[in-house]
Amino acid sequence: MNLFDSLSISGSALLAERQRSEVIAANMANAQTTHTEAGGPYRRREVVFETRGPSAFRLALASNSEDHGPTPGSVRISDVVDDPSPPQMRYEPGHPDANKEGYVAYPAINPTAEMVDLMDSVRAYQLNASAVAATKQMIQLAIGILKS
Amino acid sequence: MTSGPPMMSMLESYLKLNASREQTISANMANIDTPGYRTRDINVESEFNKVLTGALRPSEEGADAIHLSPVFHQVQGLMERPDGNNVSLDHEGLMLAKTQLQYQLAIQLIQNHFHQTLSAINGGS
Amino acid sequence: MSGVVPGLGSIGTISPLPKLASLQPEEGHDGGGFGAILSSALHHLNQLSGGAEQQVGNLLKGVGGDVSTVMIAVEKADVAFQMMMQVRNKIVSAYQDIEKMQF
Repeated sequence: MNLFDSLSISGSALLAERQRSEVIAANMANAQTTHTEAGGPYRRREVVFETRGPSAFRLALASNSEDHGPTPGSVRISDVVDDPSPPQMRYEPGHPDANKEGYVAYPAINPTAEMVDLMDSVRAYQLNASAVAATKQMIQLAIGILKS
Repeated sequence: MTSGPPMMSMLESYLKLNASREQTISANMANIDTPGYRTRDINVESEFNKVLTGALRPSEEGADAIHLSPVFHQVQGLMERPDGNNVSLDHEGLMLAKTQLQYQLAIQLIQNHFHQTLSAINGGS
Repeated sequence: MSGVVPGLGSIGTISPLPKLASLQPEEGHDGGGFGAILSSALHHLNQLSGGAEQQVGNLLKGVGGDVSTVMIAVEKADVAFQMMMQVRNKIVSAYQDIEKMQF
């Protein structure tokens, strides 16, 4: 058990939230993308958060862990998945990507929802950044024992 | 004179318990967006009580060898979101602040203890 | 002769200096009390600083242990060291005092 492990855990969250905000930003940037290389409109993407198992966490706290893998309790983005929702169809007969009925397939992206998601990610980022500051302060306090 | 462990060992145990708690809180904060994650915590007061009552002293020598094995519990009374996650930003922030202060208190007491000892050693000549 | 100075004959009965039993080295101890004190303090110090050194090494390697534990161990070793220095100083000064005594 180690205060430096707390830094690893918080650090993993900062990374994960940043990756999440990148995916959200890509969604927002491509809200109007009607065709991609793969054909069809841009598909909205989501991230999947995953935590290291709680049993490993409990064990590591009780002993002096020499594990050099991911710190138990830390988090990561395990997958980036496509949103399966069907695209929004809009009637635009003159559009180069219109189908024979004159409809264009737009990504199923709601900018407002993406914005709320982004703010959520920012708040989580700030929370974990404050955890880093707290851990750092505690480590410095411990070092201060020697400064008498 | 209490029959419990010496002062420095007690302070060290209190310090370690608060550090463990801080790590738990960090994990809670890190998993605020993980589906199904439940907030956990350790009860520093009751764990420290085990130290005070001498329940954790191993039988062999080495008065400083207090073995801490804190028990985790699920935090009750938190609001749950649709994905099953119940981590509360405010709750964790508050617990973190409290833990930091308790840690700081322990550090201060430890420093004072060392200062006193050093004064006794050096001041008498 | 005993008639010239009355009581002279009794000088011979003054007993030698009483044995200072506490200054005699105990059975099995070489060098007496001072040496034993110093070597016991040294032994304690060696244990503490060896342990502290190992903990610092582990901390730098990133293996186990907590910062606070290591700091406390280092500080304890430092306090023990200072205590030993003081003990040593006192012993040396006491020894010098004894040397200065003339009989």
